[in-house]
Amino acid sequence: MALSGDTAVRSGMNEDVALAAAGDASAFERVYRTHVAKIHSLTRRMLGSHEADEVTQDIFVRTWQKLGQFRGDSAFSTWLHRLAVNVVIERRRSFAIQRERMTDDPAAMDFVTVAPARADLTVDFEAALEQLPPGAREIFVLHDVEGYKHREIAVMLHITSGTSKRQLHRARMLMRKHLDGL
Amino acid sequence: MKMHTEWTDKLSDYLDDELEAAERAAVDAHLRECADCTAVLNDLRRVIARAQAAAAAARPPQTDLWTGVAGRIERIHQPRRVSLTVTQLAAAAVLVAAVSGGLVWQFGSAKGSRNQTSASGEVAQTFPGSPERGTRDSGGPAESGTFAGTDSVAIVGVSLADDQYDAAVADLERALKQGRGKLDKATIAVVEQNLQTIDQAIAQAREALASDPANSYLSGHLVEARRRKLDLLRRATALTDMD
Repeated sequence: MALSGDTAVRSGMNEDVALAAAGDASAFERVYRTHVAKIHSLTRRMLGSHEADEVTQDIFVRTWQKLGQFRGDSAFSTWLHRLAVNVVIERRRSFAIQRERMTDDPAAMDFVTVAPARADLTVDFEAALEQLPPGAREIFVLHDVEGYKHREIAVMLHITSGTSKRQLHRARMLMRKHLDGL
Repeated sequence: MKMHTEWTDKLSDYLDDELEAAERAAVDAHLRECADCTAVLNDLRRVIARAQAAAAAARPPQTDLWTGVAGRIERIHQPRRVSLTVTQLAAAAVLVAAVSGGLVWQFGSAKGSRNQTSASGEVAQTFPGSPERGTRDSGGPAESGTFAGTDSVAIVGVSLADDQYDAAVADLERALKQGRGKLDKATIAVVEQNLQTIDQAIAQAREALASDPANSYLSGHLVEARRRKLDLLRRATALTDMD
């Protein structure tokens, strides 16, 4: 076992993570398969399904590059999740849509044309999510789905806590309109 | 349903416990009187519950993305945290210990002694130079333990983590080069080989520490390797002083 693996035993780090950090691509594939569903769901919810695949790949490539920085101070899943959120936020910034997504668009949910799929509430929920204005969706996912606090979101997105709260409420009210028919 | 936006705008903060006590009490009072706002509040609770349920229902991508990831990481150099395995490090530690022990045996009969001197001459061409010379322990061990041997060769107060160490090593290497004519070829070969081994251990520990500066195991390993090198040079130099 690599030294990092020995460290893993002491810190609770997953052995595959330790092996991957030492350059073992097979171990990294196991890490990928363990976490890909959650990471893909995060990217899909925050960016939409059309970008989720590409950004998910970017996240795991970044993870491979950064694994050496993971010390096991927190759970690997927590570390990976934060890295993923950062990649998603960078992606959004690179598209220079930060300001646009913060604009009010009360008619946004009017574009929801797909009938609620009652047989699959999760898919229906995600379909509604994709119709949210990007800024509101981002904060809704971070707060209500992923469990981040407003102050954390404010730091990540370079906004105020007040903006985060307003966008969250806006997103919830829009989601309420869609879910109202269920 | 009649919307009282002045109240409904507070409902998310109300649900998230983000309101001051007085404001919360006011919302409570309004909700007791307003069925419409209570209905909105319950709807928002449902939205939050759905979001929390979604968090637990992660779906994998519809296509396998691993091939793309694998193709990209193949072309990427991964900064390694540690390039040495525990086994390798343990082997290096054992080797260093064996080197030291072997030299104790080899030099066991040495009776001469010398104080640290500033001998003249270039740094040994035959004796490998110190790869760590001129560098600092950036991010390395904080230990500054001194080496004060119990034998007759005294290098007291030499820190293992500062310039004193480099100066001491340089002086010993110069003295060793100057006195190497007093040693037989076999002894010179053993000393050279062992110095190379220790230098490799030091270099590898430094490389690993550069990636993981807070690793106390590596820090200790580096300190020990440097101490071993000082010890080896000191003993070899003492041998050149023997009559």
